[in-house]
Amino acid sequence: MPPRTKPSLIKVTRETHETPAAIEERVTQAGGMNRYGAPQFRVVWGGARLAWIGGRWTDRDASGNVIREAVELRRVPKYLPMDRWHVERWMPPESYGSPDEWQAQTTEVEDGIRIAALGPYPSRGDYEHCFTLESSAGEFIPLTAAASDWIVRAVEWARRQPRSNLRGAVAAREARRVRDWDRDVDAVLDEEFAGAE
Amino acid sequence: MAQMQNSQSVALQLEKVRDKLPLLYERDDILLTMIQQRGDVERVSSRNMRLPLQIRPGGKAGLANMDGGDLGRGSGTVYDVAQVSPVFFRHAVEITKLVEYASNAPEKAVENAAKREVKNAMAQFRAFLDKLVQTNGNGVLGTIASIGGSTFTMTKPPGAMLVYYNQTIQVYDPTLTTNRGSCNVTAVDPFASTITVDAVPGGTTANDVIVHDGLTGAQPVSLFGILYHQSNATTGTWLNLNRATYPVELATPRVNGNNSALTPGAVRLAINKVRKALGSNQVSKLIAYTSLEQEHQWEQLGVTISQIIKEGAGGRASDLDLLFTGEKSMAGVPIKSSINANQSRVDFLDLSHWGRAVMQDIDFYDVGGQTVFPIYGASGGLASAYIFYFVTGFQVWNESPRSGAFIDNLAIPAGY
Repeated sequence: MPPRTKPSLIKVTRETHETPAAIEERVTQAGGMNRYGAPQFRVVWGGARLAWIGGRWTDRDASGNVIREAVELRRVPKYLPMDRWHVERWMPPESYGSPDEWQAQTTEVEDGIRIAALGPYPSRGDYEHCFTLESSAGEFIPLTAAASDWIVRAVEWARRQPRSNLRGAVAAREARRVRDWDRDVDAVLDEEFAGAE
Repeated sequence: MAQMQNSQSVALQLEKVRDKLPLLYERDDILLTMIQQRGDVERVSSRNMRLPLQIRPGGKAGLANMDGGDLGRGSGTVYDVAQVSPVFFRHAVEITKLVEYASNAPEKAVENAAKREVKNAMAQFRAFLDKLVQTNGNGVLGTIASIGGSTFTMTKPPGAMLVYYNQTIQVYDPTLTTNRGSCNVTAVDPFASTITVDAVPGGTTANDVIVHDGLTGAQPVSLFGILYHQSNATTGTWLNLNRATYPVELATPRVNGNNSALTPGAVRLAINKVRKALGSNQVSKLIAYTSLEQEHQWEQLGVTISQIIKEGAGGRASDLDLLFTGEKSMAGVPIKSSINANQSRVDFLDLSHWGRAVMQDIDFYDVGGQTVFPIYGASGGLASAYIFYFVTGFQVWNESPRSGAFIDNLAIPAGY
């Protein structure tokens, strides 16, 4: 009779990491401070950055079958994937609208229960996702000194850019998209028509 | 021996490029082609394609009294079947002999007319179908807000974005019951949201809608687009299912933008609705599909920095691209924007649940091997021109309307 294996006593459900103080300091220096004296930019581990989400939760098993429903507030990781470092940028409270607008927009009613779908109004602003530290193929990148240098350069670069560049950048991308299509089609058709003539 | 006609040589040229058409058509740069032809479904015939859906869970769970208590009855999973049947689209291209004669040799013109027309037609046909995939399945390309002479000012969204110059359009009454007639577009101004036509069909009034060519009868059916699949309506039908029967299960979670500008809160609300419905970790496949207007609004909030690095910096910042994907994101969800997308919406789509039921891949219309056809003049004789067509037959489906979310009624930023 094969020996019975004992299930592990500890199951890691959510891995958490603290941002190294040295990297935190470098990013803070590069990004500057907000009006409350807190950093403009910060680096957080996906599994450690939690946020309130309220409403009707439908829990499912691994096959997608519904196992329970509950109307409640849960504190869950704000960003996915959880196993990545994310760079956040501070957003001022006014970017969330007024407290009244916030309440009107984020209050959900489930089974007669009023619930704050995003928690309380961020009266001192909040940090929002700026970008995820991962390779162009979507692979994990550790938060090393080299990665930290890169984040600092990206943050500094971002601070130097005037907002007026944004619209031009979008227009330039659209023009390039059309040019790329045109060039690719030419490449395909030139050969075919040359051979057919 | 019959003399070889030039149109035969054009036919040979077109035949040569025939197998390249899918390559020109299937590029992942527009929503239509991001929605994949699924390998797990049979190529469909003229009968409906059936999509079995597990709509509601079954079983009764609860506390039990094992001291002789009644364990109660059970229940089973509710299944139903969504159905789609393909619709056909064509794109007709006419070339006069003069154009061909003037460009059929390198010393006369830099580009062969047939080649140029294939290229232009492919671009236009792709654009047409991509415009349709923004709509709600009835072919409506816009609503007339007011009429001045032969110019329609269109309600925004979508304004005049889904119409192109020289397109044949039809005007229907607001209930899509009465077809008032067709006309040709002679000018389009997407910024002013106006369309000018050659002759306004009789009876056309404000609030009438315009639809694309080829639709007939009341309540016409066209390509099922985003507005069809991403809806929180509880009446009407969706893929042959009655929405009223499954008002929760078939409704896509919605956040009302209330004519306000896009905020991080609205984005988080929409994404969280998917997380709550499907499980908190199930948003990894989402994309945020939106217009250039809302993309710009998101940029204006100043959350993201990747766009500046990718687009504004040119080669100077290429080293900054090495450590991240460069994809712009909304709260971590990659943004895909389109000039054709509805200007007041952001749609969060999980395209792994979307597919195309294809009866006919894009191809030249072919009759017994002939793909180029003569045009006849008023006398009954041949006209000095010929015509060829692109055709395709397919429909777009979505097997899980609750796997997405959308924000609508967003304010459109100034300047658009």
